[in-house]
Amino acid sequence: MHIVDGALSIPVLVAGSALAVAGIGLGLRRMPIDKIPAAGVLSATFFVASLVHVPIGPSSVHLIVNGLAGLVLGWAAFPALFVGLLLQAAFFGFGGLTVLGVNTVDVALPAVIVHYLCVPAITRSGPRAAAIWGSIGGAGAIALSAGCVALVLALSGEEFVPAARLVILAHAPVMLIEGILTGAAVFLARKVKPELFVVFATPARGV
Amino acid sequence: MMKLFTTLISAIGLAVALTVPALAHKVVVNAFVGGERIEGEIGFSDGAMAGGTPVEVLAEDGTKLGETMTDRDGAFVFVPTRAVTHIFRADLGGGHVATVRIEKADLPATLSGGTPEVARPATTAPAETRAIDAAPPVRPVAASEAEKAAILEAVRQELKPLRREISALKEKNDFQAILGGIGYIVGVFGLWFAVAARRRELRAG
Repeated sequence: MHIVDGALSIPVLVAGSALAVAGIGLGLRRMPIDKIPAAGVLSATFFVASLVHVPIGPSSVHLIVNGLAGLVLGWAAFPALFVGLLLQAAFFGFGGLTVLGVNTVDVALPAVIVHYLCVPAITRSGPRAAAIWGSIGGAGAIALSAGCVALVLALSGEEFVPAARLVILAHAPVMLIEGILTGAAVFLARKVKPELFVVFATPARGV
Repeated sequence: MMKLFTTLISAIGLAVALTVPALAHKVVVNAFVGGERIEGEIGFSDGAMAGGTPVEVLAEDGTKLGETMTDRDGAFVFVPTRAVTHIFRADLGGGHVATVRIEKADLPATLSGGTPEVARPATTAPAETRAIDAAPPVRPVAASEAEKAAILEAVRQELKPLRREISALKEKNDFQAILGGIGYIVGVFGLWFAVAARRRELRAG
């Protein structure tokens, strides 16, 4: 899921960075103070999840967990995932600094989308149904991220369909695993902390 | 809230525990000069090699110097013909691009048109003495060209596993890096929390 330096054209990099800055700004402004520790924990989860590898065939892909971050954080997923990506680039050499903006949009935008698609249903329904919606969110975020990566590559000159097929196929096992993982996390949260999603869904005054 | 955090933190702990042997998934590329050739390897940091990938060879200004192809084990060989910095670039698809540079000064000294300023003392290595016209080459006794080539080849073969190990070592994500990263995250969000709390306090009067 990390595009590396040198794979994309300059306009795509600039547009990606602009979108990322807008998303981070929006995320920071909409971040209620109670949400900051959760953002930190999810940022750390994202940072470490990239080291969990799922071997498929000759290669392997890693977990992303952007769906869970999106469900809990909404727009605040932008700054949280940005920090994770920045540190991954600095410590592990994943991605790179010039592609940081594009990578942020690729993982955080799907997170925000699944937040708006799934959180209303999660707060409305019982734990079991919520878990299913959580799974949909977790798997959906990966699928959308893979689609974003393919789209970005296509805008930089790669053929969209083969690129998309490659990226989405490679992430099919991740979708399965993260669907289960996010579903379980949502189930747990609904059991032990039902107001988690409700509190975070209310618009914040800003900090 | 506390319970959720505890769960998430134990999830992180579990993830850390699971990942210690795992390697990062990024492109690893490695190139070095061996005799008159430039040899290299392209693969992923989890150990999978990129076989059958076309490798473009570019000069610094972007002109194409040639092309080569990786074999089944992701290794490629290129014989340089011009004394310029060589940049090797391979697109592995899905946003993975590998690039590696071989500086002009590191090119084989046998290369025609080799620049005099890179000439090293003639005694450093037999391979380098051949092309340098300054100072008459110091010929080691009783070693024919064929023998020298054989020795160089043997040394190259001996060095191969070492080079692999060094590049594997470079890609290693150790515990310190992971803990350091988590530490940074805790610090950044802690700082932010403190600033937000302070602002709220000020606003409340």
